[in-house]
Amino acid sequence: MLNCFQQSHHGMLPQTTHDEASRQEFAKSLKGFIQAQLLPGLQPVYEKRAASQFERETGRAPENRQDIRKAMVGDPYFQLYASINRIAQELLWEATNVSIERQLPALIEKARNYSAAATTTLDIPADFVPPRYVTALDIHCMPGGYCSEVTADDVAAGALYDRGVYLYTMGYTGPDNDDMGRSVCNYLQRNLPEFKPLRILDMGCTVGHSTLPYREYFPDAEIWGIDVGAPVVRYAHARAEAMGRPVNFAQMNAEETRFEDGYFDLVVSHILLHETSGKAMPRIFKECERLLAPGGIMIHADLPPFDLMDPFTQFILDNETWYNNEPFWGAMRDMDQVALAEQAGFHRSDVQFDNAPMAVMEFSAQAAGYDADSTGEVADREFTAGEFAPGGGWEVLIARKPRHAQEAA
Amino acid sequence: MEPSSVDRPQLIKDARGKRPSFHQTDGIDSLQAMVMVLASELTVLRDRLDAAERVAKGEGLDLAAGIEKLELDEEALKTREAWRQGFMERLFYLARKESGEESRNESREGYTRVIDDIATN
Repeated sequence: MLNCFQQSHHGMLPQTTHDEASRQEFAKSLKGFIQAQLLPGLQPVYEKRAASQFERETGRAPENRQDIRKAMVGDPYFQLYASINRIAQELLWEATNVSIERQLPALIEKARNYSAAATTTLDIPADFVPPRYVTALDIHCMPGGYCSEVTADDVAAGALYDRGVYLYTMGYTGPDNDDMGRSVCNYLQRNLPEFKPLRILDMGCTVGHSTLPYREYFPDAEIWGIDVGAPVVRYAHARAEAMGRPVNFAQMNAEETRFEDGYFDLVVSHILLHETSGKAMPRIFKECERLLAPGGIMIHADLPPFDLMDPFTQFILDNETWYNNEPFWGAMRDMDQVALAEQAGFHRSDVQFDNAPMAVMEFSAQAAGYDADSTGEVADREFTAGEFAPGGGWEVLIARKPRHAQEAA
Repeated sequence: MEPSSVDRPQLIKDARGKRPSFHQTDGIDSLQAMVMVLASELTVLRDRLDAAERVAKGEGLDLAAGIEKLELDEEALKTREAWRQGFMERLFYLARKESGEESRNESREGYTRVIDDIATN
């Protein structure tokens, strides 16, 4: 497939010069090339030479992802793959950063104007301290991370994420980066058509890209997006206004929000949990349970846990931990999320993993490059570690709070 | 009015967190990153030429067809060949240096001797 997917423009997205756009396209093309051409070579390299060398050296076959990693780190083909993958990641941020720096004052001014005209809330407390798990390293090598501000009312991190993530996902999440939210909304509509949430919370929303579909699917609901990064929620609020889909945004920690008990009918997150920590994740589950009204639903969309895949697949996925500043990526996939939900107060019988098919087919003819053949090809993939997005669908952890107190007894 | 680039807030350029090394030989990681940046710039130039051809065509000038039909005269052939040779000289400047060192009997030991000599004499 020739990936010609193009991001839709909106009022907050930075403009690009010809050469800036071309550099960004190169970064996106390079990601696509690595996924399509370099990644598949790892399997034969492992099977035909790295595994046998490991066996010669240790007297036994590799058994788990740690063994496979030991077998592969010294292999020149793996080194080429991992190194170019890292460079592609660095280039996509670099290529995006340049255009944002060039127009940052204008972007800040636009954000101020959009937010000033909004009827929704933007709540950024002065004394908020972001948790260490997002400030210790710049996650996925995004320079400055989600929380850094280089000037007053900074929105650079938001702009960087909005454009950078489009390139990272190679457009697979649609012209508005909203496939994950859209997939969960679709899932709810197909599987729980009677469920009509009146208040919805999106945890770890960054720029609200996954939040906005909820505005479309549940037009009458009160919707909140929260994130620990001030510049990303500031950008998110303006972006939602620019796109004509107003949503409330606040800088809050999903472990300990400022909402009252039982305020929400639906609490969701999209690829949030793997960017938290071993201590934070159980606290987030507990907070979800606290925030849900009786009969309310918690949904976390992410990639599948390790116990659902073979060791080689685990090894490929775990490269993110080692090479892409994703410290919790591997450990999170080893956690028993169903047990965590149970410990947070959900009934085991009300908790399950399921697959929410990607909404990418819906983008066909919605924006430049999204034709039926290419969107179909993205949707029809099997799960392949190292490719962006889990094949045709997102792994969703769903838990429903009992409707009545006695059900919970 | 837009503030000048001097007044403009500078973004954070590098991600926090120790960068892993991928290759055993020092310098290869750096070299590979430089090659990829150059590859990126090559595609930018290629895209820009493509853009120039498309813009010109929109204005009624078929540059792409003209380029295919272009016959190089003696002067053009010489200019291009001179540029290519000059480019290769620049590309292989270290080979030039190395062979020159041999003919001038320059060596690592000789360099150290000069340091010692200059320090004391």
